[in-house]
Amino acid sequence: MRKLIEFKNIVKSFDDSLVLKGINLSIHENEFVTLLGPSGCGKTTLLRILGGFISQNEGHVYFDDIEISNVPPYKREINTVFQRYALFPHMNVHDNIAFGLHIKKQDKQMIEQKVKKMLKLVNLQGYEDRPVTLLSGGQQQRVAIARALVNEPMVLLLDEPLGALDLKLRKEMQVELKKIQQEVGITFIYVTHDQEEALTMSDTIVVMNNGEIQQIGSPTDIYNEPENRFVADFIGESNILEGVMLEDYKVKFDDQTFECVDYGFEDNLEVDIVLRPEDIDIVPLDMGRIKGVIKSAIFKGVHFEVVVETPYREWIIHTTDKVELDKEVGLHFFPEDIHIMYKMGTY
Amino acid sequence: MKGYASLVKPYILWMSLFIVVPMLLIVLYAFTTSGNELISFRFTLDNFFRFFDPVFIKVLLKSLEVALITTLLCIIIGYPIAYIIANASEKSQTLLILLITLPMWINMLVRTYAWISILSDGGLLNSLLGFIGLPQMKLMYTDFAVMLGMVYNFLPFMIISIYTVLAKLDKALIHASHDLGANPLQTFLRVVLPLSLPGVISGITLVFLPAVSTFVIPKFLGGGQYMLIGNLIENQFITVGEWNFGSAISLIMAFIIMASMMMTRKMDRDASENTGSEGGKLW
Ligand SMILES: Nc1ncnc2c1ncn2[C@@H]1O[C@H](COP(=O)(O)OP(=O)(O)O)[C@@H](O)[C@H]1O
Ligand SMILES: [Mg+2]
Repeated sequence: MRKLIEFKNIVKSFDDSLVLKGINLSIHENEFVTLLGPSGCGKTTLLRILGGFISQNEGHVYFDDIEISNVPPYKREINTVFQRYALFPHMNVHDNIAFGLHIKKQDKQMIEQKVKKMLKLVNLQGYEDRPVTLLSGGQQQRVAIARALVNEPMVLLLDEPLGALDLKLRKEMQVELKKIQQEVGITFIYVTHDQEEALTMSDTIVVMNNGEIQQIGSPTDIYNEPENRFVADFIGESNILEGVMLEDYKVKFDDQTFECVDYGFEDNLEVDIVLRPEDIDIVPLDMGRIKGVIKSAIFKGVHFEVVVETPYREWIIHTTDKVELDKEVGLHFFPEDIHIMYKMGTY
Repeated sequence: MKGYASLVKPYILWMSLFIVVPMLLIVLYAFTTSGNELISFRFTLDNFFRFFDPVFIKVLLKSLEVALITTLLCIIIGYPIAYIIANASEKSQTLLILLITLPMWINMLVRTYAWISILSDGGLLNSLLGFIGLPQMKLMYTDFAVMLGMVYNFLPFMIISIYTVLAKLDKALIHASHDLGANPLQTFLRVVLPLSLPGVISGITLVFLPAVSTFVIPKFLGGGQYMLIGNLIENQFITVGEWNFGSAISLIMAFIIMASMMMTRKMDRDASENTGSEGGKLW
C-alpha cells in the first residue's frame, strides 16, 4: 500500500504544557487507522494538526510526500467528522451535506445526485428537508459522515464520532462505519478512547499516552504482544506482573522460573509480564504450577470472571466453566501465553 | 417560594403609581379637549386628526429617516467591531467590552455636551483644523452632528448585542466550514453572518427604538430648528403647553414603536428558527 500521510517528529505545546512529544507515524492508502488512548493524551490535537486547524511547534506533516504544514485547512484534501459533529444549525440535512459541493461550485444536478447517493449510504433517505437540530444523535452523526464523505476526500478524520451514542447504537454504527470505509475505499483516521472499538474496527491501532506513541500495530499484535505495561493495561483486562528475565526463554516471577518464548533481553533484566485472563486455565490443584484459592466468580454474559488469590497476587481468569468458591485450585498456562515486555522507560 | 411572592406587592404598587397612572393620564389627555375640569371631560379625536398635517408628518418621516440611518450606521460600524472583539483573546475581550460600555455609565446629557465642545465653531475639532492650516468647518447644528451624536450614543448597544451572539458561536462550525473547503470569506458569508443575525436584529431593536424617540441629541447637536418627533412632543408639553396634542403624538409614537417592535420580534423569531438557537435575546 502507498504511504499517504507522514508525521515526522511532531511536537506541540499549549502554553507551557507539552501535549505532543515527537510523533512519528505513517498512514497508508485505504488504511483504517485508529488513534487510541486515554482522554487528554493528544489524539484530537494530532488530528487537528492534520486537518490544519492548529499548527505544530516542531516537525513536519507530509501528504502524498508533499509538506502541507503551511497549507490552510480549506485547501487540504481531508475531511473531518468532528467530535460533536459541528453541523450547521441554520441549514437542513440536504444543505449541510451539499455545503462542500456548493463551495466547489459543482453543477446543481450533480450536487443533487451526490447528496442522494450519500443519504442512501448513511441510511437517511427522505431526511433532506429536516432541520439538523431536530435529529437524534445517531442521525446527526450520520449527516456529519455524509457531509464529509460527499466531497470524496482521500482521507476522512473521525474524532470520537460515536462517543455521544448509547452502547447499542454505537455497536451498530461501528459495523456501519467499517462497511462504509470498505465501500468507498478511502483512508480513515479514527480517534477513540474505547479499546474495544479500536480492536473491532481497525487495520492499524496507534496506542498513545501522554503525547507519545506507545505502540503501532494490528489489533492482534496490540492485543497479544503489547509492548509495555501501559498498552497491556489499556487494551483489555490483564494480569500484569513484575519479573526477571533470567536468560533467553526463561523468566522468573512469584519465586518460580517459567519457560517462555521470548528472547533477546539482557540476562537478569527486570521486566513486566502480561498474562491475558482468557489464556489461563483453572485446573485441579496438583496439575498447576501456581496454586491459589477461588475468591470470586462473576458471570459476564459469555464467561465467568474468576479471581484466584495466591500468596503473591490476585489473578483474573476468564473461563466458561462453573467454579466453586473458596476451593483450592491450580493455574495453568502455556509458555506462549507469557508475554514479556520491557519496563516503561528502559528501552 | 410562595411566602416571598407578597414581597413584590409594594413594588407593584410603586410601579402602578408612577408608571401606569401617568400613562393613563396621557391616554386621558390625548382623547380630551383642553381646559378640562377635574370631573367633567369632553372627549374628542381632534388631537389625533391635528397630527395629520404635512408639517407634522414631515417631522415624523424625518425622525424615522434619522433613526433608520442611525441604525444602519450602527450595524455597519458595529458589526466589524463586534467581530474583532469576539475573535480577540479572552482577556482583551473583557477589556474591550468594558471600554465599549464605559461611556454608557455617563449620563447621556453629559456625553452630548461633550460633543458640543468638540464640534462647535471654536471647538476642539475646528481648532485642530486651524492648527494644521485647514479651513474651518460648520459642524454644529447639522445633520452630521445629529447623526454623529446618535451613532455615538447607540453604537454600544449594537456592538454588545452582536458580540454576545458571535462570542457564543461554536468555533467548531468555523472549522467545519474550512474543512469543507470554504475560505475565510465564504465561511463568514455562509456560516458566521447567518448565525449572527439574531444579534443584529436585537441590536436593531435596541438602537432604532430609542433613536426614533430621542429629543436630547437633536436638541443640543441639531439646534432649536432641528425638529424630530421627540422634540415636537417635548415642545408641546414644555413650550407650547398643549398637553392634549402632545399626549396624542406620544400615543401615535407609542403605536409606531409597538408596531416596529412586533416586526423585529417576528424577524427575530424567524432567524432563531433558522438557526435553532435562542441567540441574541438580551432580555
Ligand atoms: N486549545 C488548547 N489550549 C490549551 N490546552 C489544550 C488545547 N487543546 C488541547 N489542550 C490540552 O492538550 C491536551 C490534549 O488534548 P486533546 O488532544 O484534546 O486530547 P484527547 O483528544 O486525546 O482527549 C489536554 O491536556 C488538553 O487540555
Ligand atoms: Mg479528543
